[in-house]
Amino acid sequence: MKLKTIDLTKKFGSKTAVKHLNITLSNGVYGLLGANGAGKTTFMRLLCNIQTPTSGKIVLDGKNIVTLGEKYSELLGYLPQHFGYYPEFTALDFLLYISALKGLSEKNAKKKSKQLLEAVGLSEESRHKIKTFSGGMKQRLGIAQAMLNNPHILILDEPTAGLDPKERVRFRNIISAFAQDRIVILSTHIVSDVEFIAEEIIMMKSGEIIHFGKPQEITSEIDGQVWECTVPTAHAEKCAAAFNTSNLRNTDRGETVLRIIADHPPMENAIPIRPNLEDLYLYYFKGDAEK
Amino acid sequence: MKKLIQFELRKIFSKRLTQVIFAALLLLSVLLGFSTYQNMYAFDGISNEGTGRTAVEIDKSVAEKYEGALTDEKVQQMMTDFKPTQDLHGMNAAYLYHNAMQSALFRNFSDLDGNWNGLRVSDVFGSEEIKIGYTYGWLKTSENMVRVFIILSLSIIIMTAPVFSGEYGGVDNIILTSKYGRTKCAAAKIIGSILAALIMTATISTINFIYAFMLYGSNGLDCSILFAPAGFVEGYIPFNITCGTLLKYQILLAFTGAVSVTGVTLILSAVCKSQMVALVASAAIYLFPVILPVSETSSLFRIIALLPLYHAQFISLMSVGQMSNGVLYAILAVPVALIFIGIGIAISRRAFAKHQVS
Repeated sequence: MKLKTIDLTKKFGSKTAVKHLNITLSNGVYGLLGANGAGKTTFMRLLCNIQTPTSGKIVLDGKNIVTLGEKYSELLGYLPQHFGYYPEFTALDFLLYISALKGLSEKNAKKKSKQLLEAVGLSEESRHKIKTFSGGMKQRLGIAQAMLNNPHILILDEPTAGLDPKERVRFRNIISAFAQDRIVILSTHIVSDVEFIAEEIIMMKSGEIIHFGKPQEITSEIDGQVWECTVPTAHAEKCAAAFNTSNLRNTDRGETVLRIIADHPPMENAIPIRPNLEDLYLYYFKGDAEK
Repeated sequence: MKKLIQFELRKIFSKRLTQVIFAALLLLSVLLGFSTYQNMYAFDGISNEGTGRTAVEIDKSVAEKYEGALTDEKVQQMMTDFKPTQDLHGMNAAYLYHNAMQSALFRNFSDLDGNWNGLRVSDVFGSEEIKIGYTYGWLKTSENMVRVFIILSLSIIIMTAPVFSGEYGGVDNIILTSKYGRTKCAAAKIIGSILAALIMTATISTINFIYAFMLYGSNGLDCSILFAPAGFVEGYIPFNITCGTLLKYQILLAFTGAVSVTGVTLILSAVCKSQMVALVASAAIYLFPVILPVSETSSLFRIIALLPLYHAQFISLMSVGQMSNGVLYAILAVPVALIFIGIGIAISRRAFAKHQVS
């Protein structure tokens, strides 16, 4: 299965949210990284066919997804960044309703809903009204609904938002187990989430893909630009503010080890280290995040 | 599909606002019926006088004496029986109220002093046979139902406005990416809305009917509305229809009104991103005819009277005209309702399917 975007562009008035994207996605987990306003959500909505491109198209195995219509929707699972719910519905009712929309038989819907509620740790709350749920519980319910139809294309926009560390681990395990022979695209601000499970990383900035490849490949882009510097703890804050710092770690010797991203050695004692995805993210998006 | 419709109905009826509206409408129906009953007054012209249940009993016993076809002899008999015994001090006898039968008589056959005005039954009603009896209770019920049905229409607007626009708050993302989101879901929403409107109308109408039966019995349903007591707008429908026919039309028009208003609201619900905008716009469109400077004598009124507001406030529509076979012009509300709902279905389905998530 190949999902391909051809010169995909989406404009909102004078602002171009997605610019001439050409990308081919085959089975695997893709991590979509980008600062706020990079165009991730618009790109995902275009992939879900809930926004119409200004120009260009998306094809699945050579067929336009708009033409495929219901056949494409049948293959799709989507967790939006912000999704609404029906406060008076219970978690089980909500899943049964979405199952009906996805065309599952009543028997299958019940079975699948219970399985997924169990998988996301909501089986005990299945009969509770959604209005009583915490943000994390709603998010888990959202993840469950996206997987109801065993989608071949699973698109998750900020799926780990609101989840505590234990729930994030559970989520990563669910996705890893589910991703076999499927296209899974997930966007997140929590770089470590995609670092663990994504086979490919798509980095977006200002509506364009600036990097697309395996994590190790794309982090090599900034080889020699990540440094570890040790400074007295009293000066650590000042140094961190002066440079693009991805991490601070205090030692028991009254010193702080800074992880700095810079084109040149930021200090005399700077030691080059191997970059990770978070460094790459900060390298590209430090300015955007501050904005 | 059946399951989706059930879910849509559940969404509508599980909303606290819908439940409050439904309870309020039931309460309004009961309170209006009860206060009308309690405030009824009757005097038999001799010695019996009372309000509430006593008044109904007096009115019924007076009506029983004269029930049947209205004849000149009966008119004379009643004029004698109801002749004012006191000086009216200049008041027009048409405004004298002792009981329902006397009021109807004086409205048609009395001069200013309460004496016969010289008109015969054929002068007032032509060749029509006018059957008289106790119609007061049902006419009052009809009058109350006008108010109830106008509020019912507004309630249907409140119930229907969020059907599509309510999803635009975030669930649209999920619905429109699902297999049947753009097709069966939209259809289920439309069918669910229509069913909800029909269920509400049927329930409220039934409650009003049962309550009226409990208070007044079935008396007078076969009697003409033309011999209505003074002050009844129903008396201004210039066609010799029975009280039962009047109520049948009223109920039919309540349903056509409900369907029409659902059609209009569905369009705005699908087009507007906000529930509140859809609600206010629908209510404004519904009430708009009230401010139109068109008199009932204008030919334009024949068209305006077919708008949903006049289905609930049915007297104006009922008085427009009579078509062949004794069928009133008001029957045109049926095709009009079908047109409204047809347009509503077509536009709302299309708007929802083409909706761009934002």
